[in-house]
Amino acid sequence: MKRIIGLIAVIATGLLMTVSSVSAQKIVVSMKGPGAGNPFWAAVQRGAEEKAAELGVEVVVLAPPTESDVPAQIAQIEDQLVKGAAGIVLAPTDPNALAPVVDEAIADGVPVVFVDTKGANEGVTYIGTDNETGASLAATHICENVSAGSDVAILQGIITQSTGKARADGSNAGLTACGLNIVAEQTAEWDRAKGLAVMENILTGNPNLKAVFASNDNMALGAMEAIKNAGMLGDIFVVGFDANPDAAESVLAGEMAATVAQNPYNMGAIGVESVVSLINGGSLDPVIDTGTVLVTAENAADYQ
Amino acid sequence: MTESSNHEMNNEVPWHVRMIPFFDRYGILIVIVVMCLVLWAMQPEVFLSWRNISNIFKQTAANGMLSIGMFLVILTAGIDLSVGSVLALGMMTLAVSNASGVPWPIVLCLSPVMGMLAGFVNGVGITKLRMPHPFIMTLGMLFMARGLANLISGGVPYSGLPDPVRFLGSAQIYLGEFDGTRYNLPIVFLFTIFVYLVFWILLEHTVFGRRVYAIGGNPEAARVSGINVDRTLIIVYTICGFMAGVAGLIMAGRTNSGFPNAGQGMELEAIAAVIIGGASFFGGRGQVLGIFGGVLIMGLIRNGLNLNDVSTFWQQILIGGIIVLAVFIDVLRRDWGTRS
Repeated sequence: MKRIIGLIAVIATGLLMTVSSVSAQKIVVSMKGPGAGNPFWAAVQRGAEEKAAELGVEVVVLAPPTESDVPAQIAQIEDQLVKGAAGIVLAPTDPNALAPVVDEAIADGVPVVFVDTKGANEGVTYIGTDNETGASLAATHICENVSAGSDVAILQGIITQSTGKARADGSNAGLTACGLNIVAEQTAEWDRAKGLAVMENILTGNPNLKAVFASNDNMALGAMEAIKNAGMLGDIFVVGFDANPDAAESVLAGEMAATVAQNPYNMGAIGVESVVSLINGGSLDPVIDTGTVLVTAENAADYQ
Repeated sequence: MTESSNHEMNNEVPWHVRMIPFFDRYGILIVIVVMCLVLWAMQPEVFLSWRNISNIFKQTAANGMLSIGMFLVILTAGIDLSVGSVLALGMMTLAVSNASGVPWPIVLCLSPVMGMLAGFVNGVGITKLRMPHPFIMTLGMLFMARGLANLISGGVPYSGLPDPVRFLGSAQIYLGEFDGTRYNLPIVFLFTIFVYLVFWILLEHTVFGRRVYAIGGNPEAARVSGINVDRTLIIVYTICGFMAGVAGLIMAGRTNSGFPNAGQGMELEAIAAVIIGGASFFGGRGQVLGIFGGVLIMGLIRNGLNLNDVSTFWQQILIGGIIVLAVFIDVLRRDWGTRS
């Protein structure tokens, strides 16, 4: 008897914590990871909830316990579909693995949009950072701060990945357009230590280098180390991407010149807005840019 | 105390002690029924819907495969920490070989075969290399199999599997349409039942099964009574690895892909299901039906909390609490049993 009573008690305690309304039609926002402890997802969640309140719709924001727990995210979506979700805003932990459950939703007539990460399903709108635009934003900032014809370098990410390729293309186009001389374009595979090593080699071969665009902040911070070691601090204008707290710190300290921030709040807000428009019979562009922001010494404190 | 109650204490077994054999056999079923009633009360329109029930089986199938293999190992008083990584290794071997054009009948077998190999290595390590505890050998395998899965895939996911390979994990039998609802029976549900039946026969009705229980009960006694303990253990770990490979095949089918971080932490979920299912960590005790119940209870908690929009953090807390509770109940049971 105790066995049963005990178990009921435990289960009931858990369930009573819930706000269980009788399966009202809700919009499901499924993020890659929990907002608690990750400012990026916390901002996505805030954007989704505030937009839902503004539009007068109900949202439930879910996430697997960790970003690697793909089966948990699949199960959450399956369970929400059974409950009759009105629409789904999905940041897939793994685009391919989530594809079957997204197909299931579409077969049920439940509209889906992807945020942050583009899914593998054809014809589903992707709402997220246009990395090419973000990289050209960085390139423009470099153009405005170094004299035309100067030597510049690009540290690429892994360009077999879509993000890496978009940032490489966007920066190359931007720097070429304003007449800068790109002397090196090399990959440092998103890695700080590799960023340092690659930068050391670039500096050796190009003593007149005036600026560097690094496709993420890790590589930018690695490059910064190389520049400091070479005693060239202040001579080279370094712009990164991601606006992570270390990079914001470096910008405030006057080392890195700038970085580029994504706009996770918009991902949540535009995600909910878009799915509501689909529910009401509207149509969407295949890609919606949530915008990027240049982070310089003026606004870096917001990203620490 | 009155005369009569004294009399009762000495000569009659108290009711809760008399109930022990009953609860040993059926307790877990009662727990499941109660959980279902609670969840049904909270989500009356949804919980008992056919689609939700088939979802629960789809969601628990991989853990079900890992758990039954883990049960065999725990029966011998062992442990296999590598099953989650072995699942990933099987899955990635399957996905990568498919992408490089290997014909599907071979692709289909690769995940279970890789699992078997990893399990065999575990078994040989534990017995022939005389590792002091299975914990160490399988911890080593946890890292090796994960590393190997990353190595062969370059750490990136592969997707797009042929239908025959996806069959076990994703195919459904269309049962018909009633009242405008389409009823599908997932193949993986039938398969899970089949696997558990096979394990029940294996453990309850074969010499091998008796040996497994005997080794867990008392390895020295098993040895002197003529059981080849090493050989039995190697077979047990090989089966456990094989089941991890089968779980990899199911998960690959379900997700139509292989992703190298699959199965992370799933070894712990399998151990949890086995413990909740009433197996003893000291070996030699537990039933196949109980393990099935343990897997189902974990699936019900997840499903029930998902349906009620509860954060996954609560799921973790609840599952942890239930593990402790299940073992505490076992401790009470022993107490009552020895006092009588």
